[in-house]
Amino acid sequence: MTTSAHVGDRAVHVRKRKPRIVANTIAIVFCLVWVFPIYWMVNTAFKPADEVTTMTPIWAPLHPTLDNFTRALTQEGFLVYLRNSTIVVVAAVLLSIVVGFLASAALSRFRFRGRRAILVGILFVQMIPSGALLIPLFLSFQTLGLLNSYVGLILAYVASVLPFSIWVMRGFFVAVPVEIEEAAKVDGAGTFRILWSVLFPLVMPGVIATSVFAFIAAWNDYLIAYVMLKDQGMYTLPVWLAGFSTNKGTDFGGLMAASVLFSIPVVVFFLIVQRRLVSGMTAGAVKG
Amino acid sequence: MTSTAEQATGSEQSEPVAGGQGVGGLVQGSSRGPDERGRSGPRRRSPVTSRAPLVLLAPAAILLLALVVYPLVRLVVISFQDYGLRAIFTGQAGFAGLSNYTNVLTDASFWPVILRTVLVTGAMVLGTIVIGMGVAQLLTRLGVAMRTVVSVVLVLAWAMPNVASSLVWQWLFQPFYGVLNWLITQLRVFGDHTQDNWASHPGQAYTIVLTLVIWQAVPFVALTLYAAQSQIAPEYYEAGALDGASTWTMYRAITLPALAPTLLLVSILSVIWDFNVFNQIWLLTRGGPEEATLTLGIWTFVKSFVSNAYGQGAAIAVISTVILGALTSYYIRRLVRSGEEDL
Repeated sequence: MTTSAHVGDRAVHVRKRKPRIVANTIAIVFCLVWVFPIYWMVNTAFKPADEVTTMTPIWAPLHPTLDNFTRALTQEGFLVYLRNSTIVVVAAVLLSIVVGFLASAALSRFRFRGRRAILVGILFVQMIPSGALLIPLFLSFQTLGLLNSYVGLILAYVASVLPFSIWVMRGFFVAVPVEIEEAAKVDGAGTFRILWSVLFPLVMPGVIATSVFAFIAAWNDYLIAYVMLKDQGMYTLPVWLAGFSTNKGTDFGGLMAASVLFSIPVVVFFLIVQRRLVSGMTAGAVKG
Repeated sequence: MTSTAEQATGSEQSEPVAGGQGVGGLVQGSSRGPDERGRSGPRRRSPVTSRAPLVLLAPAAILLLALVVYPLVRLVVISFQDYGLRAIFTGQAGFAGLSNYTNVLTDASFWPVILRTVLVTGAMVLGTIVIGMGVAQLLTRLGVAMRTVVSVVLVLAWAMPNVASSLVWQWLFQPFYGVLNWLITQLRVFGDHTQDNWASHPGQAYTIVLTLVIWQAVPFVALTLYAAQSQIAPEYYEAGALDGASTWTMYRAITLPALAPTLLLVSILSVIWDFNVFNQIWLLTRGGPEEATLTLGIWTFVKSFVSNAYGQGAAIAVISTVILGALTSYYIRRLVRSGEEDL
């Protein structure tokens, strides 16, 4: 951030100063438009019911209240859905990251027959429409009795998150200089020792960023859970949230409060890893 | 950038001569010695290293084979089977030849769905890229404070789970109480829209789907392009300014060529993502009114999980994958080609 900002400033100084006003005006208009939906969600979430449904909009809650949040939180099942989401997502992310970490080490630190084929395959898999894998997975899980179960949903999320995790973590591995590894090798460390005590600490930030991204992807999933879960007691938060309006008529205050609650963990995680994510997603895919 | 480091690693690892016997390995590597020794040496001497990649890959390979490769094969098989509700209960699905494909291809919805999917994807990608380029350019012209504000707004929009943002859109465009219906009416240009149910008119249904997807897709494109743009050496612009080049000329002659690789990447990623958009369309319009917003993704879902015609759903999924593959083949080829040095 600091270096790029610096370069940007220098570039601006070269040009005339006058366009700053124009640029700032455009930026303000852009921000107003782009933040408006979020502002309206939060605004609605804090309004009492009679201020939510008005013919003329009320721009800030006149009588701010937490009623909507308590209604959403105490709604029958919320804690159950929260627990379902947490169990399934955490298990899927842990499994994908551990397994993906080992695989990405193999794919970045070793050269062996079939390595390129595997990498191209992993790229190709990410291009497959999500609905395409869902049909065979659904039918297999039906046969195996895994529909409507944590295990089934966890495996389905691993299927969608693991290829991506391998690809991104491999990018972080590649960025670690070989010399470090060579030094460890000269000191007599074995392959797994090097992987664990030399490479892992260095790749750690990348592993965390990838985990967070995998978490967000699984946490946000609606389609897979919607198809796999039939029993309401097994619902995850997105499935519950999407059904909220139909269950509750037009309780938009409650719906917006629930949306805020559901979005908060994602937004927080996102703000933490966002910068690393941009480099991770483009690393290896674009050659500068 | 990464290729040199990688190759170095690669050659290091493919001749696992270091390890405990570093010196001996070096000697052998340099002198090569008798042909026979040179070939069998590395394999014999360091079994742990040579087996290491396989051990590391095994868990992922097992999971991917079971959860991705096998399902993909099964998808193709199902697309040739008479796989409906009966097959679910009996577990037996008869061979159906090409009938799923002929049924899908002769379905009155088929060509409209294909055309629609391609056009909607095109409109989403175009809108995202154009706005994203504009915002990236804007970011380079702002002071630190304003740039931070814009970045935070972008990240907020990007981070919103799309189920939540779809519900917010429903609320923004709600008949009677939707704030945007009110705003549009206040503009007094388009007439009274307070009672509009946007999901029930084709043009309006597209408006809400497109604005939602573009709203959420612009941040990634804008921030990625901005990151690339801030790597351009300011000397180029200084030279351009000295030559009296206009802002537009400099953008075209300096910025665009430098951005080209990144622009290509974000365009292709956008094509992949927008082609597969499901949640936003499903939650806002369910593919309606009638079939006005029925895209390939929605159609696959409806055929398989609403009509339980899994065979036809699988056929549509296979066709979608082929179309997406064709749309992004340039990218795949580029990656595979660059793979000779990088992968």
